[in-house]
Amino acid sequence: MNSGLNDDNATLVAAFRSALLHQGIYVLLVFAVLAVAWVSAREWLRPARSSRPAGPEPAWRQLLRIGFGIIWILDGLLQAQPAMAAGLPSQVIEPTAASSPTWVQHVVNWAGTSWSYHPIQAGASAVWIQLGIGVWLIAGARGRWSRLGGLASVAWGLVVWVFGESFGGIFAPGLTWLFGAPGAALFYCAAGALIALPERTWHSPRLGRAVLSVMGLFFIGMAVLQAWPGRGFWQGTLHGHQGTLTSMVGSMASTPQPSVFAGWVSSFGSFSAAHGFAVNLFAVVALAAIGAGLLSAGLPEVGLRAPAPWLIKGTVVAMLVLCLADWVLIEDFGFFGGLGTDPNSMIPMALVVLAGYLALSPAPALAPAAEPATTAAQPATANAEPATTAAQPAAAAQPAWRTQPARLARAFGAASTRVVLAAWAVAIVLIGAAPMALAQTNRNADPIIAQAIDGNAAPLDFKAPAFTLTDQNGRQVSLASLRGKVLLLTFLDPVCTNDCPEIAQEFRGADQVLGASARRVELVAIVANPLYHAIAYTRAFDVQERMTGVPNWLYLTGSLAQLEQVWKNYAIAAQILPAGGMIAHTDVAYVIDASGHTRTELDFDPGPGTASSESSFSVELTQAAEQVMKSS
Amino acid sequence: MSARQAGWAAAGVLAAAVAVAGCGSKPAPSTATPPAPAPPPLATSFASTAGSSWAVVEMGGSAAQEEDFWQLFVLPAGTAKWKLATPLGVADNGGLVVASPGGESLVTGFRPSQLLAYSPLAASSDDGASWSSAGPVNSGLTSAPDALAAGPGGSLIALTSGGAELGQRLGASWTRLSSTRSLAATQAGRACGVSALTGAAFTSSGTPILAASCSRPGVAGIFADRGGSWSAAGPAVPASLDHQDVGVLRLTAAGPGLIALLQAGKNIVAAWYDGTRWTVSAPLHAATLKSTAIGPGGSVGVILNGSHGATLAGPGAAWHVLPALPKWAATLALGSSGQVDAIAANGGTFTDWRLAPAGWSLAQTVHVAIPYGSSS
Repeated sequence: MNSGLNDDNATLVAAFRSALLHQGIYVLLVFAVLAVAWVSAREWLRPARSSRPAGPEPAWRQLLRIGFGIIWILDGLLQAQPAMAAGLPSQVIEPTAASSPTWVQHVVNWAGTSWSYHPIQAGASAVWIQLGIGVWLIAGARGRWSRLGGLASVAWGLVVWVFGESFGGIFAPGLTWLFGAPGAALFYCAAGALIALPERTWHSPRLGRAVLSVMGLFFIGMAVLQAWPGRGFWQGTLHGHQGTLTSMVGSMASTPQPSVFAGWVSSFGSFSAAHGFAVNLFAVVALAAIGAGLLSAGLPEVGLRAPAPWLIKGTVVAMLVLCLADWVLIEDFGFFGGLGTDPNSMIPMALVVLAGYLALSPAPALAPAAEPATTAAQPATANAEPATTAAQPAAAAQPAWRTQPARLARAFGAASTRVVLAAWAVAIVLIGAAPMALAQTNRNADPIIAQAIDGNAAPLDFKAPAFTLTDQNGRQVSLASLRGKVLLLTFLDPVCTNDCPEIAQEFRGADQVLGASARRVELVAIVANPLYHAIAYTRAFDVQERMTGVPNWLYLTGSLAQLEQVWKNYAIAAQILPAGGMIAHTDVAYVIDASGHTRTELDFDPGPGTASSESSFSVELTQAAEQVMKSS
Repeated sequence: MSARQAGWAAAGVLAAAVAVAGCGSKPAPSTATPPAPAPPPLATSFASTAGSSWAVVEMGGSAAQEEDFWQLFVLPAGTAKWKLATPLGVADNGGLVVASPGGESLVTGFRPSQLLAYSPLAASSDDGASWSSAGPVNSGLTSAPDALAAGPGGSLIALTSGGAELGQRLGASWTRLSSTRSLAATQAGRACGVSALTGAAFTSSGTPILAASCSRPGVAGIFADRGGSWSAAGPAVPASLDHQDVGVLRLTAAGPGLIALLQAGKNIVAAWYDGTRWTVSAPLHAATLKSTAIGPGGSVGVILNGSHGATLAGPGAAWHVLPALPKWAATLALGSSGQVDAIAANGGTFTDWRLAPAGWSLAQTVHVAIPYGSSS
């Protein structure tokens, strides 16, 4: 029977924690090495440090950098929730895409499948990449490192937006600002792009105008969408069913969370059901008004008079209040339930608008464009000039690697704390990404999924009970006649509707994973149905499962008496269920070595029957066969 | 950016928003022609030549398809109590299709479900008291009460997605009798505009008969295999309905002849073939059918959507509308003495209601242990 694979499966959760712990140790180790190296370089090489003044980072950029740095760190911590490794693809990624067009589902499900093939590596990589980007943004205040941090936010934000948020749901029919359209991660990208702008753009009010104008157009577009008839937002209830907004709020209220928050959301859902038209009218008017107010900030760019400052300020305050209300009452904070991946779109959106507002009146630049990280190293190099020059004759006679390390070490010693922290952040990202990248080169799933479903293989050592049965081609086959080959043996019902076809595919998959070694292996199934055991049925099953082209596949059957004896010898139960139920039989696989000894027993309930679980069982079977082949 | 350019940009964004909104708005109502009438659900009952009654009903009441299992009940000749006779060993949550070769024999086909892609068969020669497995149909039986037909000498016709398969006897290999495409390419098929096979039967002399939905109005798609070529063998549709698309909902052997149920627009018509000619009933107004029943002597019973039912005593008789049916009525069962039963199925409870002058009265209840969870 199908046992399923729960999100909080103890094996997967333990493996996920273990992976995080191991990678966490590496992260701390890298930190320690960097710190020791940096302090050492400063103490021993005594590089000169920059004394050139740098202008202050504008407030808008600080807000974006630190704000989104904190959000990325929060997202990374949310990714470390126990259910994430197993649950993200099936509970978050695929449901998010369910109402989108087929092509979106294909794209998103591809990512979900990739994740589910290597859940531990994928889950851990998401944690470290997001923590790393967060630290990177917070640490890198200026210069190349800081701008690169912004670009990293854009890149990973796009990955999250496309695969994790199904393009923010912009292709799905229920698109609405109230529930986070066009996706939180798109604002992460926008913020990253702004952070990555060169310093020469920092001090012009045009940047603020551009940001507010774009956001203004966005709000107006969302107002039009919200007002569009026929989408169910104007009705609290419709023909006895909940309207679109009421239904969405209702589903959020059912998320596991502290009762006080559920109560707020639920109360708003009831209010929306009773006053659907008024709620939507308010949303449309508020979105349109905020959009118009923000758009007006761009008027000077088209030669018109700038609006009064109070208008922009008032609009931004109204937007912040609306975002906060939506975040609490409709988006329900976004991160509850054990599978919440981020605080949803309102906070990032508010940060972007607020940054745009602050950028309208930037602080004047105090110094020419300076890149501290680079500049900090420059004087050191400049100061070191005489020494370098003095060393020229020797250097000319030596390979570059003999001279470069000293220069690098001096440059490293001259780097600021922030640059060292940013370098550490990059290392965190790499520590997270590398195992996942490595796992992706393997097209087979991790065997831990099979172990999570059925536990570990049990080692055995006894002489396999003999049998003589008939294969799908009518030939007599005995256990003795298969001596010299490793046997993967299982018991299948040819008219089974779920587990047996999956197990057959797992055997077929194992044959493919074994590759050339498959010549030394025989895949053997014995019928496990006391009523339907004629050869016509083993043949029909083979055709159904495309096993006819597998040369080392044998599907054996015999008389009921013969089969019952084999079932007894191999401890197989085959129970006839009443009233239209299929045969309930033991799902098991044995590995029998070339000398006819049973060496391994694998519980073989195939679980949810997904591509990843099937592949995982194939790999588990292959590894068991290879182990027996090695030891025999 | 000039004011003009900014205006165009704003208009562009608004247009995009409108387009996106359009993606989520309701689709326009379809103006396509309605599909050809499809066979009714598999719930049915029939009378064997030995006088036994059989009923096929779905039980379980679960929203999950794989948790609802089909059950076969028999009321053996000369007895008053229905008995559970579902063949064991195969999950029947995809549906059961039955065919009677005559006497106390019955062949049952299991429609594929979940990962099972072909149809196992079970045969009984003692009114369902015992069953043995028979050779499978190598692809799945279609969802039609007459997807399996049994003829003299043990021959069988099985309707599958590929077409009609002929087995000379139980357990023998299958050969292709016809496909939808090849039948549609015959002269008779072209006159009908065959769109799908809906049923199969044998005449008493063993001639294979196929039923199909026609895309040409006013043509009843019934075809006989006359020495390897297919010819039209259906009844003429009443003139009042000859502008409608006609679907053959049921086609089964009845005594020495055949009985067919036709749907023409929103009308149901029964037709009887006595070996030489067809007799056609008056139409019964009914948009869709919930189940059909074939009784002794060419009697017919139908349950319409809702709780309405009607019967026809046989050729030349008029439709008799029944009192409101009991709750959960799944099919009617017609007895040889004109007795009408309504078989109700709710969860694991099978209930037989008998029609008396005062209305429906409870005749029997059978509790069935539905194997919930066995296929999930």
